[in-house]
Amino acid sequence: MAGHSDSSSSEKKSSEAMNDVPTFSTENMQNNMKVIYYSRTFMSIIGGVIAGILGFTGFMGFIFYFLVMAITSIGLIAKAKFSVHLYFDSWNRIILDGFMGGLMSFVLFWTFAYDIVHIF
Amino acid sequence: MAEDLVLDTAIRDWVLIPLSVVMVLIGVLRYFVSKLMRSFQFPDLKIVKEGQVIVRARNLRGAANFIPPKSFRSRRVYFSNEENGLLFVPKGQAQNAQAQMFSDPNMAMDMMKKNLSMIIPQTLTFAWVNFFFSGFVAAKIPFPLTQRFRSMLQNGIDLSTVDVSYVSSRSWYFLNLFGLRGLFSLILGEENAMDDTQRMMQMGGFGFDPSKSLSAEKDGLDIVQYDWALPKFEHRAEAVLKKLVS
Repeated sequence: MAGHSDSSSSEKKSSEAMNDVPTFSTENMQNNMKVIYYSRTFMSIIGGVIAGILGFTGFMGFIFYFLVMAITSIGLIAKAKFSVHLYFDSWNRIILDGFMGGLMSFVLFWTFAYDIVHIF
Repeated sequence: MAEDLVLDTAIRDWVLIPLSVVMVLIGVLRYFVSKLMRSFQFPDLKIVKEGQVIVRARNLRGAANFIPPKSFRSRRVYFSNEENGLLFVPKGQAQNAQAQMFSDPNMAMDMMKKNLSMIIPQTLTFAWVNFFFSGFVAAKIPFPLTQRFRSMLQNGIDLSTVDVSYVSSRSWYFLNLFGLRGLFSLILGEENAMDDTQRMMQMGGFGFDPSKSLSAEKDGLDIVQYDWALPKFEHRAEAVLKKLVS
């Protein structure tokens, strides 16, 4: 395991020096990114509906969003069989990508479900 | 905070849900209309050629570390030497290409269609919302906001005692506008995932000229730090095999 992580970190160094991704197939990378983006969007919509139905308000909702995103990240890492560097070039991809993009969808569906269930 | 307002269920049935449904349907409609209106341009030979050269140069740049030093150098010279390299653009020609690009009406037409298909439905929906659904509270945002948002979100409600989280239909419209983007990318596929800011960027890059990207690619190729990767791979393979043996 140590040998593997060593070599992958040296690969990463060379990739940073080149300002490119040499050891990854670009198309596969893009496909992986797309999968992450889809799953994040999907989870943010579902999470928004759940938060609205449960009636979270204020900070609780945003904490719930963070929770959902954390669960998504863990799920993606589990899907990658816990060897993230085999599929992605950095941890940021799996943890942070699409984080802000899902927020608007989350807020929309949160508001929608909350209004329908609790306000009227 | 003032005591909770009770909103009429008719607002939910006739404003909140229809507005969302209409916006989703308009998004779907816009997607298919823009798909229909996308005209097939006969590609210009020169542009295709340059594009392919750029793709090849990019492949070389991406895979530089996997070929021996000699091969890489000879390929680089083939692409970027100053006499007859594929990526080298003479000075006079570059200007010409740009002028030709600007005078091409097909390009402008396509751009125009794309923008119109975005702007017209948005304007119409906004006018519709403003005309029919203004002057009452339509929704409550489940998180508190500061007073600063009042003029923006409670447009048409002239009551200063209503809590700011109660918003008018116009803000519900805006929330839909931004929030449905994710939903569209799920139901319509990736083509629709391109958001408005990217479209704006495209509009800014109207006078896109291929010779510029050619020279940019040439610069990129020139500054590649060559570093043959295969020796390192042998080390890695050695490590893996040792681990297997031991």
